[in-house]
Amino acid sequence: MNKKIAFKTLGCRLNLYETDSVMSEFARAGYEIVDFNEQADAYVINTCTVTNMGDHKSRQTISQAGRRNDEAVLVVTGCMVNNHKDQLDQNDRITYVIENDRKGSIFHLIDSHFQGEIIHPDELLRDRFAFGSAETSFHSRSLIKIQDGCDNFCTFCIVPHVRGRAESRSFEDIEKNIKEVLSYGYKEIILTGVNIGRYERDGLNFEGLVEKILEIPGDFRVRISSIEPEGFGEKLFKLFHHPKLTPHLHMCLQSGSEKVLLKMRRQYTVDEFEKMVGKIKNEIPDFNFTTDIIVGFPGETEKDFQETCEAVNRIGFSHIHTFKYSVRKGTRAERLPDHLPEKVKNERSAVIRDLAEKHKRNYRSGFIGKTQTVYVEKIDARGNAHGYGEHYIPIRFKASKTTQPKDFHKVAIIGIENGIDPKLIGAFVQ
Amino acid sequence: METITHNKYTVKEIRDLTPSTYVVRLERNDMKFMPGQNLNLGLSGDTEKRDYSIYSRKNEEFLEILVKEVEDGLVSKKLKRMKPGDTLEVDGPFGFFTIKEENRYAKKFLFIASGTGIAPFHSITGSFPEINYTLIHGIRELNEAYEKEHYPEGKYISCVSQEDGGDFRGRVTDYIKQHPVDNETICYLCGNVNMIYDVFDILKEQGVPSENLHAEVYF
Repeated sequence: MNKKIAFKTLGCRLNLYETDSVMSEFARAGYEIVDFNEQADAYVINTCTVTNMGDHKSRQTISQAGRRNDEAVLVVTGCMVNNHKDQLDQNDRITYVIENDRKGSIFHLIDSHFQGEIIHPDELLRDRFAFGSAETSFHSRSLIKIQDGCDNFCTFCIVPHVRGRAESRSFEDIEKNIKEVLSYGYKEIILTGVNIGRYERDGLNFEGLVEKILEIPGDFRVRISSIEPEGFGEKLFKLFHHPKLTPHLHMCLQSGSEKVLLKMRRQYTVDEFEKMVGKIKNEIPDFNFTTDIIVGFPGETEKDFQETCEAVNRIGFSHIHTFKYSVRKGTRAERLPDHLPEKVKNERSAVIRDLAEKHKRNYRSGFIGKTQTVYVEKIDARGNAHGYGEHYIPIRFKASKTTQPKDFHKVAIIGIENGIDPKLIGAFVQ
Repeated sequence: METITHNKYTVKEIRDLTPSTYVVRLERNDMKFMPGQNLNLGLSGDTEKRDYSIYSRKNEEFLEILVKEVEDGLVSKKLKRMKPGDTLEVDGPFGFFTIKEENRYAKKFLFIASGTGIAPFHSITGSFPEINYTLIHGIRELNEAYEKEHYPEGKYISCVSQEDGGDFRGRVTDYIKQHPVDNETICYLCGNVNMIYDVFDILKEQGVPSENLHAEVYF
């Protein structure tokens, strides 16, 4: 009987990409991939440590998996390992603790284990790009890792400490990865990494890389995932006219206060951020900007916070990931004075969420009467197709007989749902 | 993976500039860096590490950092006690507080520093002496004009807030208000956060566009 294996991914898209790749190796080798809540012979948990919440959820997931099957091989990997390795090494229930740079060898480790060969994790290959193309994944869009690590050292951020120095993947590898996933039937790819705007390899920067990716033949579209507002310029703005490049950026503002940005050691000013937004909107007026905001950074005054609210209102982000600042040990912000009470962070977080909700509805409503090309992710029991338009807005429409997941369908937007994350309602265009 | 692993560097010399400020010279170990970048370092085996801008020139055979002893500082006090032959754990270089190659000899630069924030400018101006720059240095006392003889006549302007005898009596903010900056100048600011806030506001009022402002904060 085939061994059963279950995966759980916490945190970012890079983790998702890496899990997808590892999972695909198991699927190809005949393992049965089961839901994480089911009994399995092995559990792989790809953890996150970017916030206290990430640590908490990772610990909770490890303990759940440990209880589910006493006999199962339990593998813990991801950023929490790099941040709390000693602590995890001491947990007897965990079979293997694998650092980020050895994650690509998890198949080799577990498969060898089931064949009676115990490999010490330190003997596994260190390679941050040793991930094959994911044929099997939990998603209809395919993530493509182009870069890892970050050298920015923002004062609040643990990522450079757990993901390491910035390193870019060669174009040849990226191209091969993309061609393979296209051959598996994926039609939307998402470029992902830790700080992708800083891509630099063999004389190619991020803009040059995107341009070359867009030249790859095939019926597919390209989405850029989370990006810092730095390391790229006018050339990228122009590339958004390319039909394969989707008009959406998740560009992390973090704060609308120049003073807070300076203390965060971000590499841009609010003014520069807005100029960048303005330039892109000049090219494509209905361009979709989403962002991350940290509230309650040490020393953030009410005035600073109001400046963030004002920036949010001026820019009109269609979606905001709001994070309450949480101390990460070893970061510079840990030693900053004037850490704020949770109550203040909660209040500010609620204010941003309310603003975000308002702007989301406004932005999405603007598409009523227009058409979108939806990349279908699934068709539900009632015959509704669900997916995302090119602007990365969720859309549902009544599926036709020919509607299939992983296909593009042109729909006319005729309405919007109620609720805090309203989908657009579309009608099939023949 | 290239995680933040600290490599061992031997201390070659400690050079006192004032009773509380000193230069630590380290072996170069073939480290490549761009002037303006910083290092993360601390004593061997010590978990406490701090960032210091590189003070030395690009082509020197050693690395130098400029350190001011901080009251209750967990690293700066220990660094002061280092002796030649001791080792430090160093990682880097890090940071983007550097001058773009295409701008290097094509633009006019204004460097504004407070205290030991002069370190990256010492490295930049020493590495590229032909660039067109003025350096304004905010200090409290004259003895904080660290190695000012490094800078050619007229390039270095000390703004001394607590005694006479410098190039300007007062803060850098007062100097900049009295000597407006044209909007073509590329401004680099390094030092304490309050100085940077204040100078940013003044420069923006004077019409310097935000893309011409670069800052490195010392906490």
